[in-house]
Order: sequence, then C-alpha cells, then structure tokens
Amino acid sequence: MSDFLQSYGFLIVTLIQAGLLGLSLYFPLMAGQLSLASPGFYALGGYVAAIMLTNPAFAGLRDALGNGIFPLTWLAAGLLCALAGVIVGVPALRLRGIYLALATIAFVEILRVVSLNLAITGGAIGIFGIPQAFGFQDRWQYILIFGPLLALVLAFTYMLQKSRVGRAFRAIREDELAADAMGVPPTQYKVLAFVIGAVIAGIVGSMSAPFLNTWNAKQGTFDASIAILAFVLIGGSRSMWGPVVGGALLTAVPELLRFLQDWRLVINGLVLVIASLYLPQGIVGALGKLRKSPPPARPPVAPAPDAKGGTL
Amino acid sequence: MELSSFVQNLMNGLAIGSVYAIFALGYTLVFSILGIINFAHGAVFTLGAYFTYTLAVGQFENNGLLKGINIFPDGSPFSGSAVMFGLATILGACAAGAVAVLIERLAFRPMRSRGADPLLALVSSLGVALVIVNLIQLLVGAEIYNFPSDAYGEVRPALSFQIGDKVVIIRTVQLIIFAVSLVMLAVLGYVIGRTKVGKALRAVAESPSTASLLGISVDRFILITFFLSGFLGGLAGTLVGTAFGVAGPYFGVVYGLKGLAVIVLGGLGSIPGAVAGGLVIGLAEAFVPAEYSAYKDAVAFALLFVILLVRPQGLLGRNLIQKV
Repeated sequence: MSDFLQSYGFLIVTLIQAGLLGLSLYFPLMAGQLSLASPGFYALGGYVAAIMLTNPAFAGLRDALGNGIFPLTWLAAGLLCALAGVIVGVPALRLRGIYLALATIAFVEILRVVSLNLAITGGAIGIFGIPQAFGFQDRWQYILIFGPLLALVLAFTYMLQKSRVGRAFRAIREDELAADAMGVPPTQYKVLAFVIGAVIAGIVGSMSAPFLNTWNAKQGTFDASIAILAFVLIGGSRSMWGPVVGGALLTAVPELLRFLQDWRLVINGLVLVIASLYLPQGIVGALGKLRKSPPPARPPVAPAPDAKGGTL
Repeated sequence: MELSSFVQNLMNGLAIGSVYAIFALGYTLVFSILGIINFAHGAVFTLGAYFTYTLAVGQFENNGLLKGINIFPDGSPFSGSAVMFGLATILGACAAGAVAVLIERLAFRPMRSRGADPLLALVSSLGVALVIVNLIQLLVGAEIYNFPSDAYGEVRPALSFQIGDKVVIIRTVQLIIFAVSLVMLAVLGYVIGRTKVGKALRAVAESPSTASLLGISVDRFILITFFLSGFLGGLAGTLVGTAFGVAGPYFGVVYGLKGLAVIVLGGLGSIPGAVAGGLVIGLAEAFVPAEYSAYKDAVAFALLFVILLVRPQGLLGRNLIQKV
C-alpha cells in the first residue's frame, strides 16, 4: 500500500484537485452561467496561502499558530475569494452566455498580468520554498486534506441540489426570465453560485500552494480555464459527478499516455474533439442514458446487455 | 506628451492595431455566421507565419517536416526579393485558410449536424488548437524562428522625419502592415457589401434556415467563411512575424486572446466593429507609458472588461435582443 501511495500519490492528489476545480466551475453552470474564472480564484487562493506561509510579515503569526496556520490560510483564501467573487460577480453577471465567459477570461488575464508584476507575488519568478502543510513528508499525504475537501464539497453539492436554493439555480438555468417572473431573483442566486465556485477554487489553491511547493503566475492562465471547462463538459455538466469524473479522467489521460511521450498532448487535443463530438452529454450523461429505460415516445429498443454495469 | 512621441505612438498603434483588426475579422466572420467562437483561430494565425516562413525562407534547420521546400530556387529573378516574400505571404495565408476549412469539416460540421450545445464547439475548437500547437512543436520544433530582416527586399530603409528636435521613425514593416491591412479591409468590405457572394453570406449570417430555403447552399458558404477567416488569420500571423520577428508554436496564443477582446470591444459579429476594436486596442497599447509597459498585455482585457460592463453589445454592435 505504501509503495502504491509513493508511486501514485502525487497523481491521485492531482486527480482530486482537478475534480474539485471542475466542481468549482459546475456551481455557476448549475445556475446557467458559463464562468471561466476558476483559475483566477485558484491562483488568488494559492497566492494568499503562499504569502501567509513565506512572507516575513506573517512570521509572528506562524510562530504563534504552529500548524494552525494551514487551516487559517484556507479560511483566508476562502474569504478573500468570496469577496473577490462578489466584486467580480455582481457586475459581470449582468452578462450572459459567451459574454460572461469572455469577461471572466479577461478577469483571469488581468489577474495574471498583475501578479506577474507585483513585488508581493514575487513577480515572474513567483513564490517558492512554501513549507509543506502540517509538516507532511510525502506528497501522497496531501490526500489527507484534499480527500476530505472533495467529500465535503460533494456532500454540500448533493444537499444544495436537493434544497430550495438548488431548485432556484435550476430554474434560472432552464429559463431565467420565467424564474424571475415566478419570484426567484436571478441576480442574487447567480452571484451566490458564482461565489460558491470562487470559494472552492480559492481553497483548492490554498491547499495546492504547499503541495506544489511553489506558486507563480502560470497557475492561473487561460489554458487552465479551458482545461477546467473541458473537465466539466466532457465529464457531464448536468450531474455533480460529471466534473469529478471528467477532471480525473482528463488529468489521467496525459499520464496514461506517457508512453506516447511527446504525442500525448496532441492526443489530449484529439480526445477533446472526439469527446465533444460523440459524448455531447458528457461521460456521466451518457452512462445515465444507458441506465434509464428508453423514452416511451420512441420505438422500444432492447436494453443493452451491460445496461446495469454502467457505473465508474 | 510631446508632439513627436505622440506621432510615434500613433504610428506604432495604427500598425499593430490594423493587424489586430484583420486577425479579429477572422473571428468575427465565423461568429457572425455560426454564432460560435473558433478558439483555434490563434493556432491558424501561428500556422500562417510558419507556412510563409517555410515557403519564403526555406528550411527549418533541424527537424523540419517541410525541409528543403523553396518555391523560388536561388538565382531565379524572384529569389530573395520582396515579390517572392509577398507571394509566399499570400500562399501561406491560403494554406492557413485551407486548414481553417479542414477544421470546419472535422470539428464543427459534425457537431452542427447533431445540433450539439455550442459550448461543446468551443471545447472542440480548443482541442483542435491543442493538436495544431503541439503538432508544430513535434514536427518542426519548439524553437523560435525569425523572419529575415530583408524579408521585404529593397524597400527596407525606414521612413523618418523630424518634429521639433526629435526624430520620428516609422519602420517600413509598419507601413507595409498598415497598407496591407487597409487593402484587405477594402477588399473584404467590397466582397461582403457589394458582391453576390457577400449578399449570400449576409443572408446566411442573418438566418441559416431562411437562407437555405432561398436556395443558398449554407454549408458551402460556411466553408467560404472559414477560408476567409483562416486567410485573414494566417496573413496576420505573417505580418506580426515580420514586424516583431518571432514565431514559435505558442506565437498565436496571446493574439488569440487579444483577438477576443478586439471583437467584443467592437461588437461580436460586426465587421466595422472588429476594425474599430483592433485600432482602439492597438492605439491604447501604444500609448501605455514606458514605466507601465509590463502591464501592456492587460490593457486589452481591461478594455474588454469595461466595455462589457458599460456597453455589452460593443462599440458598433447591434443591441442584444432578449428572448422572452
């Protein structure tokens, strides 16, 4: 077991991390908002943690709290990202569809250029030598903090979907104007969904900074926006399992293809093209369809033999 | 600001702005027809520069797939001249257009015929961009190639004139870029505004289903749009490559993003808007004071953010219609 964790621990943590980032984008999508801001909040959360853990200004706080500093960085990153989420979300959520996506791309790019040029973020070099969380010796030990976070976020998502708020999100997603007419205030719920996503991305960032040991402007880029969007769309954007499955799978693909060496990024691109052509509902959506009985309007189709075994 | 530096910035801004404009036109043409953003456009831009380099300069030194191809052998009347480079630029842009057509056939058309979510077209076009960029890196290498300094042959010496006690220098490359962009805009404006093809294109942009009822072959005009889009993107790639002398596999990524800012600023789907947006962003970048030049890349996105909040339909865009 420990051998297994030694070899694959880093990968497992990365898969969980990808799933969490996918979920951070899933929340705004639940309310019908395509936001690509997750890498921005992820980068912001990472910088908060990196600065709190390395900057001399926080030395006294670190000495006083010991390992308690780590949960504090999560809290600080979450709060700051919530605040940033409101500041960006309130004006940006007046926009719809592709316009919102472009505004959030602009947000991520502006944040990237600013972090490249500030002294406190270490400029182009970034911040390095970030101490390991709780004095972890091995990278796989980060499963101990990322795993519970994933469980927590999934439980939260499950409960949210069953709640009044979750139903309001869905109503806005299906038809914003109708939802508004029924007394569901779209703006408040849209901002709420956006902020939840921002907080999750920020906390993931604050855990990732010690995990990666170094933090720089490359952490939050347009490429990351797209990667995370692909997690959700390829996994399935209509179920909370979609982003998790998609994130894990798309992160694993380049690793599994390592034997193809340089070709793996090309194949990764092809996977995106083919999956968006042939799995329009995402992987989870396609599996869900297999399990469901065919709709009555269509001519009856014999159920596929493996119809029950369709879980991952 | 002194008059001389004002004129200098103005010239620099117009040159780069006009390249932004023709690059962004490629985006906006596809958007106006299909209502989607082709994220592979930045990769097509890179390809344009590479194709031209391959045709004009000849070989990539190490591992080039296209090693040794040179349309004008040494000693022929065209070799090494501006004529040859111009021809290579046009052919390179045509090749980029052909790639764009291929992208449409392989990544967009199957999706359209399935009636898939437009978001998936976005992911699919990003997948294409990933494939192209990494194929370039694999087949040609990750090195950065510079266009030769005598790419435009004998018209090399720069224009310079004096204002007050300072000299304003306008590089020949900048003049050429500006002139080529103006010609392209005029031609495109003519084709779309005055010709039968343009009329059909506008009809398809307005409503594909109505256009097809009127006997317009929608698929064919979508292919034409993609060719034009790729041609403009590839041409912009060569022009930027000659002006700034850099082309690596990731050459087009920044331009791809800035192009988005340009078309949103001008108004998504609006052709005059893309031109206005390109010039505004080019000029805004040129006038960033030297001490803040590190923030230059953020200017386009700051403008994008502001315009989205103040006037989401862009400078010259049509009002957004809300469906009830």
